[in-house]
Amino acid sequence: MSPAPKETIVKVAEWAAERGDAVIVTLGLGSCVAIMLHDAAAGAGGMAHILLPSRSLAHDATNPAKFPDTAVPFLVERLRALGADPRRLVAKLAGGASMFAQLMTPGSVQMGERNVVAARDALRAASIPLARQAVGGGAGRSVRFHVVDGHVEIRTVGSDAVVI
Amino acid sequence: MEDVRDLKALQLDALKEVANIGAGHAATALSQLTNRRIMISVPEINIARLEEVPELLGNASDVVAAVLMHMLGDLTGRTLLLFPEAVGRKVCDMLLRRPLGTTATFDVLEQSCLKEAGNILSGAYMNALSDFMGMLLLPSVPSLVVDVSAAVLTTTYLNFGHERDFVFCVETEFHIDSAEGLRGHFLLLPDLASLKAIFDAIRLT
Repeated sequence: MSPAPKETIVKVAEWAAERGDAVIVTLGLGSCVAIMLHDAAAGAGGMAHILLPSRSLAHDATNPAKFPDTAVPFLVERLRALGADPRRLVAKLAGGASMFAQLMTPGSVQMGERNVVAARDALRAASIPLARQAVGGGAGRSVRFHVVDGHVEIRTVGSDAVVI
Repeated sequence: MEDVRDLKALQLDALKEVANIGAGHAATALSQLTNRRIMISVPEINIARLEEVPELLGNASDVVAAVLMHMLGDLTGRTLLLFPEAVGRKVCDMLLRRPLGTTATFDVLEQSCLKEAGNILSGAYMNALSDFMGMLLLPSVPSLVVDVSAAVLTTTYLNFGHERDFVFCVETEFHIDSAEGLRGHFLLLPDLASLKAIFDAIRLT
């Protein structure tokens, strides 16, 4: 048996970039969004667990992995350092759920949706195509991003795992 | 007050005392509902960076049954009742008068049962605060999710709170029949602006 691939846990507002057979894991995405970038040719991938759609919502905006518009360029640079070509990068998104939806004020835009929109905007600004996504809905997600081929396993409490 | 980190020791103590009165009434209600002894811990005030919220109450990846409600009226904020998933099932068994271990999934009846438990506990908590502080406090309808603790807690603050840097909660842990290890958490999440109203009401300014 081959040894289990190395697992890197990404917590809220953190990031990771890896090469080879590493697996990048983040647990319990609610309104947060995991932005995953992958270069298949270089076998390199990175993930940021973003928390807020805009830096204007926080006093402390020094952490690049906390916001989509800073997380995407930051991950691109980290992946470039690992031998990835920014022009080859493709993106996947997971998260942005709306839990406790019936308590939302009617007409208000909930944070999960804002995070997804902001993540897409940040990818567009960096000219990175969005390959697949598993966003919205009412349930939290736990994500395992396999850097070797870019596939992402997504687990939800009470349902079967899906792969994107 | 601009920041929860500015709270003084005396104010923190006063908040704990307020929470203790609320949690005591909620525990009495739960005890009467389940016909069991309920023990409550001394309330704790947790102040954390938003990024640290998943680890606020133990293991971030544990699955919990959570009932969130808005608190409306003279104070605004939320209450959150949390049971580890396995405890949530047993609470359903107790409330539905079934042998412990009967509940397998959270179907419509079980979901309704947990929401009602949230309703009654939060109602008792808010009633006690209303009486003590001479305020009108109204609970909203309850909303239930069964999900990973990290997702529940971050979403509670992100989607419904107004603070995006440092957040806080007043937490009481309770044990049902302490020997069986059945525990849950009751969280009071007042909006920062409502803290002043609490301190005014108890003449602590």
